[in-house]
Amino acid sequence: MIAPLVAAEGVGRVFGQRGLFSGRRPVAAVAEVSLTVGRGEAVGLVGESGSGKSTIGRILLGLLPPSEGRVLFDGIDLTRIRGAALRRLRRRMQLVFQDPYVSLDPHRRVGAQIADGLTIHGLAAGAAATARAAAFLEEVGLQPEHAKRYPHQFSGGQRQRIGIARALATGPDFLVADEPVSALDVSAQAQILALLADLRRRRGLAMLFISHDLPAVRHLCSRVVVLYLGRVMEEGSTEAVLTSPRHPYTAALLASAPSLDPARRRRSAPLRGEPPSPAKPPTGCVFRTRCRHALPMCEQARPPLRETGTPGHRAACIRDGSDAGGA
Amino acid sequence: MRRFPWLAAMAVCVIALTAVLAPVLLLASPVRIDIAHRLGGASAAHPLGRDELGRDELSRLIWGARSSLTVAFGASLLAGVIGIGFGVLGGFFRGVVELLTVRTMDIVLCFPPLLLALLVVTVLGPGIGTLIPVLALLFLPGFTRVAYAGVLATRALDYVEAVRVLGVHPTRIMLRTILPNIGGPLFVQFSLAVAAGVILESGLSFLGLGVVPPTPSWGLMIGAARATMTQDPALLLWPCLALSGTVLSINALCDGLGERADPHGVVRWRRSGLLGALLPGLAPPAGAVLALADLTVAIETPSGTIHPVREVSLSVGAGETLALVGESGSGKTLTGLALLGVLPDAARVTTGAAWLEGREILRLDPAARRTLTGSRLAMIFQDPTSSLNPLHRVGAQIVEAIRAHQRIGRRAACIRALSLLRKVGIADPEQRLDAFPHELSGGMRQRVMIAIAIANEPRLIVADEPTTALDVTIQAQILDLLATLQRTSGLAMIFITHSLPVVAEIAERVAVMYAGEIVEEGAVAEVFAEPRHPYTSALLASAPDEGGSPPRPIPGTIPQPHALPKGCAFTPRCPRVLAACEATHPPLLAIAAGHRSRCIRATEA
Repeated sequence: MIAPLVAAEGVGRVFGQRGLFSGRRPVAAVAEVSLTVGRGEAVGLVGESGSGKSTIGRILLGLLPPSEGRVLFDGIDLTRIRGAALRRLRRRMQLVFQDPYVSLDPHRRVGAQIADGLTIHGLAAGAAATARAAAFLEEVGLQPEHAKRYPHQFSGGQRQRIGIARALATGPDFLVADEPVSALDVSAQAQILALLADLRRRRGLAMLFISHDLPAVRHLCSRVVVLYLGRVMEEGSTEAVLTSPRHPYTAALLASAPSLDPARRRRSAPLRGEPPSPAKPPTGCVFRTRCRHALPMCEQARPPLRETGTPGHRAACIRDGSDAGGA
Repeated sequence: MRRFPWLAAMAVCVIALTAVLAPVLLLASPVRIDIAHRLGGASAAHPLGRDELGRDELSRLIWGARSSLTVAFGASLLAGVIGIGFGVLGGFFRGVVELLTVRTMDIVLCFPPLLLALLVVTVLGPGIGTLIPVLALLFLPGFTRVAYAGVLATRALDYVEAVRVLGVHPTRIMLRTILPNIGGPLFVQFSLAVAAGVILESGLSFLGLGVVPPTPSWGLMIGAARATMTQDPALLLWPCLALSGTVLSINALCDGLGERADPHGVVRWRRSGLLGALLPGLAPPAGAVLALADLTVAIETPSGTIHPVREVSLSVGAGETLALVGESGSGKTLTGLALLGVLPDAARVTTGAAWLEGREILRLDPAARRTLTGSRLAMIFQDPTSSLNPLHRVGAQIVEAIRAHQRIGRRAACIRALSLLRKVGIADPEQRLDAFPHELSGGMRQRVMIAIAIANEPRLIVADEPTTALDVTIQAQILDLLATLQRTSGLAMIFITHSLPVVAEIAERVAVMYAGEIVEEGAVAEVFAEPRHPYTSALLASAPDEGGSPPRPIPGTIPQPHALPKGCAFTPRCPRVLAACEATHPPLLAIAAGHRSRCIRATEA
């Protein structure tokens, strides 16, 4: 098997343990997460807010050091390099942000912001950088003359395109897209998803697509990882996870997304209550407090990820999982 | 972008140039004493007269500007460079650097400023060379704190993280990304420091601790003129005028520069208390809780008046939910805001009428408007975080909402608040009453907002994207709650959203808006199954669905409101466009009972 481009191995992250005066208890935002992204592969990372999905994205980019475990990028351990070496590696991995209204510097023309990545890494300078920046704008579906404008002169969808152009400028191999469409209109969402799928195909980009919405992942990602309270609940090929979920949480998440067909209205919300605080996660299975199928033994031990029968499809549920679809 | 503040810049330039050029201006000597002509009046040789020692007043004023402005600008620049450096470094690196920079400045802040200045000047002796560092030390904490606060607010923003991701060196991030974005407050701080510097120099010189006589300075002049105030008040007037003129010009210049640093244009609007048009001669339709007819909203922009909402007519019956759907810029939110009477300052209703249970509500005076909103007419906003007051407990906010419209005691209102929290499905309502908004999750805050909205038993709720900021699982719960409330109380709801699956979930009828107009309206089941406007079809195709086909984006973007096409607004993106579509603007016509479309090809097979 070829080594994956990015691999997180048993990654955990605890917040709030530092500080002499802060009396807060440490919060484990992410625990025991292992995941890989192969070259040119798009992986979906799905979960509710507070599930630690953005934290994982930042750990994979080396922006946030993990408290435990390690991250390998093309064989290089990101937890062991820093300073200039890490900055040089940044060229190969980029981030697309959720909110295009705050991810662009309001005081600088968009062309200059795109050209930044080129000049910093010595890929182009001066007029060449300006020309390349204009070309990147064209690649994401905008006009070259837009380079002279300021961010506030664009709509949300157009700004997200600029954010993507900025990320592409350094010629990365790996892109983390942190909820890139959730702040956008439906039609802009479809445009950005189509653009990302197209870029992945044309440039062979590896991608971690973070979303709280399973349907958004369907057409972009070949694999999907479902996260709850900082832990992986289920992972597998998108097709397998979305059509036959083996963890009750995945099933509830799927059932929560409203359907376009008015005839298929739900009677009631599939998931009651809210996620528990990560500061005091439930014992045993972290999902058991909201799970309709919880058994007494779910309190005892944290269930490990187990193969479900389909290759690569694994779920962290002690039950067989065959009736999870009924959740 | 704002225009450059030419007037203020010229005033500051004139003042500075005059001071710089003092030696070559062929002025009388500012220090030559002529006791024989003390307090001599204005003459051709001495346009402003002579002072108490017979020296030329004009010459002293100009030479005085040299010392006053040198001290003020010198001290402010010194303090600005060091202070901004300290603040940016401390805010960016935090930790030990913060301790060394920002916290040491806090110690300086502990000394009374004037006392500190007096102490240092007494030890080191008066003179310009001492004044500049002393005043700089006084100004230092101000610059540091302002820069530090700005950096703290900016460093967490995504665009700073974005340049970090690009691999930019920290020095460059501080200089290129952070500094320009905290420029506005720093300009203001600089103008305050210069103004304070001019005044402090005057004060210290007046006390004999600043500029040493006979070198002229405005402070010394004011001090000296005070003694002869009764004989020649003009001697006091000139340095005071120079002082205030300089301070005002510097303030105006720095304000202008600060605003210019902001690339967003500043929109000037004119406020019109009167409505532009008379009531259309229509009677309110019977049966509807809300009927809106021909609403048009105008906004004044730098490039002329635009109409982001044009001739929108709607009606909602009791227990009914009407979804208002469209992309950003379609005018759906403005329509809702107009109904609630909370349009932004630049916008106004030009035509149209709205009847809530038969009563016209677009032309209410402010007092009647206050009684109406929050009682018969309520709203739920997208972001519950910013629409709840972070400083008040949620119980108090619900009680306040109840007591604004009902004459009941605090205790009774509390009991009512409790039952409302229970009604919107909040667990442990007794404890939650005492919680602050930040202690609740996003879903719970939205439940609190709904409790406030239904507190006074409204007839109509306008909900503007109430679930967009929430997770899908919580969204399902909130939609569930809204549907239940509606079933039990029979209230009417206008649900503004851009999500078609949400519409399918909650609404009975849907009005699709595009570029400020309704393009199609009808029962949700009918419109979704058989859309009769190409925009509705395109919107449906672009929505993610659990079915197999990937969403198909609509090419292009919504036209800008000041550059609308002449004919149908959708022509540039429409796959079925005809020549006739570009020629005339199509009206919204009924194509079946309760189904309207603005497409000329709506009835084609």
